[in-house]
Amino acid sequence: MSDILLQVENLCTSFFTRAGEFKAIDGVSFYVREGETFGLVGESACGKTVTGLSILRLLPEPAGRIIGGKIILDGTNLIELSKKEMRAYRGKMISMILQDPMTSLNPVYTVGNQIGESVRLHQGLRDDMVEDEVISALRLLRIPAPEIRIRDYPFQMSGGMRQRVVGSIAMSCRPRLLIADEPTTALDATIQAQYIALFKDIQKQTDVAIIFITHDFGVIAQMCHRVAVMYAGKIVETAATSTIFKAPKHPYTAALINSVPHLDRKDDRLYSIEGQPPSLLNLPPGCRFAPRCHDVQEVCHQQQPPTVEISDGHSVSCWGVK
Amino acid sequence: MADVILEGRDLKKYYPVTKGLLKRIIGWVRAVDGISFTIERGKTLSLVGESGAGKTTTAKAVLLLEKLTSGTILFEGKDVYRFSKSQLKTEYRPRVQSVQQNPWSSMNPRMRVRDIIAEPLVVNTKRTKGQIRSRVLELLDQVGLSPNQADYYPHEFSGGQRQRIAVARALALNPSLVVLDEPVSALDVSIRAQIMNLLKDLQDQYNLSYLVIAHNLATVRFMSHSVAIMYLGEIVEYGEAEELFERPLHPYTRALISASMLTLPEDEDKGVEPIILSGEMPSPLNPPPGCRFHTRCPDVQDICSKEVPEVRVIGQQRIKCHVYAEQ
Repeated sequence: MSDILLQVENLCTSFFTRAGEFKAIDGVSFYVREGETFGLVGESACGKTVTGLSILRLLPEPAGRIIGGKIILDGTNLIELSKKEMRAYRGKMISMILQDPMTSLNPVYTVGNQIGESVRLHQGLRDDMVEDEVISALRLLRIPAPEIRIRDYPFQMSGGMRQRVVGSIAMSCRPRLLIADEPTTALDATIQAQYIALFKDIQKQTDVAIIFITHDFGVIAQMCHRVAVMYAGKIVETAATSTIFKAPKHPYTAALINSVPHLDRKDDRLYSIEGQPPSLLNLPPGCRFAPRCHDVQEVCHQQQPPTVEISDGHSVSCWGVK
Repeated sequence: MADVILEGRDLKKYYPVTKGLLKRIIGWVRAVDGISFTIERGKTLSLVGESGAGKTTTAKAVLLLEKLTSGTILFEGKDVYRFSKSQLKTEYRPRVQSVQQNPWSSMNPRMRVRDIIAEPLVVNTKRTKGQIRSRVLELLDQVGLSPNQADYYPHEFSGGQRQRIAVARALALNPSLVVLDEPVSALDVSIRAQIMNLLKDLQDQYNLSYLVIAHNLATVRFMSHSVAIMYLGEIVEYGEAEELFERPLHPYTRALISASMLTLPEDEDKGVEPIILSGEMPSPLNPPPGCRFHTRCPDVQDICSKEVPEVRVIGQQRIKCHVYAEQ
C-alpha cells in the first residue's frame, strides 16, 4: 500500500550489561499509515518504550543497540543513516512526547525558549521569525494567551498546560510521525480527556501519524485506530481497536482485557493472570506467555509461535489460534 | 442502625500561606473544607477525586498524621482527639493501619521482609521472638507469599509482591480499619487484579473496614460499598456505590465517569460523546465563590456563581449542587 508511512520489520534491540544480554525487543514488526494513530499497549518492561526510542535512534548507548531489522520511514531505512543524517530526521520528520512533563522540560528556561530551540535547530529560521513560529505552535495546542505564556517558566504552569507545551515542542516543526510515550499517564482524568480530544483535533488538522504508547486500555479505545499488544519484547497480537476489545484472539490480550474492572457494571471478582512476566535475561525457549497461559499445549513450551494473519489486518502469534 | 466504625464530622484542614521574614499569614489553602463521612464495619468507603481535591489530606487526618483545623473524628463513637497519648497507642493506632501507594518507597530497602512485617509487632506488642516469627509466617501465607521468602530483601520482589508485603505489614496488628492510599495505581494491569482480589478476600475473612483513596473509577466500583466524590476540598456527591455509578447526579461525577468510560471508535460514530470539561481545577488558595465547580460546569446557571449550594439528600445520595438537586 502506498499510504504506509512507517514500516518496522523484525526489529531487535538488546541491552548489553554485565549480567548479560537483555533482549528488550525481539523481532517486532508493524506498520503505521499516514494520519492514523497506532497504539502500542503492554505492561512495564514489555518493550514499548524501547520500540519508540529505537525508531528515533535515541537508545542509551553504548548499552542499548539495535541488533537487527529495518525501520523504513517513507522509503528510507533509518538504521542505515549516519548520526548526522538521523539528526535531520528528528524533529522535522519524527518527534516524541514523553510521559512526565516535569522531567522533559528544563526548569530554568522559559517555555518559549524551549520550543524555539527546536524551531531554530530544525527549520533554521531567523530569530525574529522564531517567535511567530513558537506562538503558532502554542496556539496549535490551544494554550490560552500564547503571547504571554511564551515568557512563562514551566513551574508557572499546571501539569496539563506543561504537557501541552511538550506537545508544542513535538509539533513545532510539523512532523509526519509523532511518538507519544504515555503522554496522559501523569494527568488527571478530566485533563486527560481534554488532552486526548485535543490530539484528535490536531491529527485532523495536520494529518500527523501517531504511535501511542500506553498501558491504559481506556486511552487506547479513545485514541487509536489500530493496536499492537506487546508481551516480553514481542508483539503478540495486532488488530483494529474494536477487534482487540471485542474479539481478542491471543490468550494474553483476552486476559488483560478481562482483568480490567468494569465501570458500567459491578464485578464480584476480577479475572487475574497468575505469575509475572519472564525475565528478559532468561527467556523461555517457546512462547513467552506459556508459563502463565491457561490454554497451554506441549508445543508452546518448545517452539516460538509464528505470527499468522487470521483475517484482514488481524494477526496473532499463538499456537492455539488456527 | 448500621455499625459505624469511623465517622468524620465537618472536617477542615487549612494550611497557612506565609510571606516575608516574619511569616505573616497572607492566606489559607483550604485543602479540606468541611467534609463528613461514615465508614461502616466490614465495608469500604472510597474517596475519589483529582489531584488537589483533598483525598490524601483526609486520609492523613484519619491516620492522625495531620492535625485538623477543625472537625471531629469518632472511632467507634469516641472522639479521637480526646484520647490520651497512651490510649492512642493502645486503642487507636494499632487498630487503624495503612497501605501506601508506592511499594518501592514504603519499605526500608535494607530490612529483610521478615523484619519489615515484624516491626509493628515489635513496637506495639510484648510478644516473644518465637511468637513474632510464627505470626510473620502466618501473615506471609495470608497474603499469598511463601514462608521461605521471609529472609529476602524488598528489591528481590516484583511490584505486586511488594504490595503484598505492605498489606501483610498493615495486617500484622489485626487492625479494624485499613487506609489504602491508591493501593494499585503503581502496579501493572495484570497485577492490579491480583491485589484487588486479595484485598477483597481479606476484607471478607477478617471483617476489615477500608478507607480507599483512588482516582480510577473502575477500581473504585469494584472495591467500594460507598463512594465520596471530592472536588476542591469538598464532597460534591456521596452515596452507595452502585446507586452512584448507575445514577450519577452531580455534573462533576458525570464528567468523571464519562472521562473514564471505555468508548470504542464505533460508539463515537453512534454519537456517544464524552463530556469534556473546560479548564482546570482552580487553586484551593482562592476557591471560586458560590459552587466551587461552577467555573467548569457544563450546566452552570446564574445562581451557581452567587450562592453556595446546600447539601441535599436525594434517595440515598447526598449531593451539593443547585441544578441537579431539583430533579
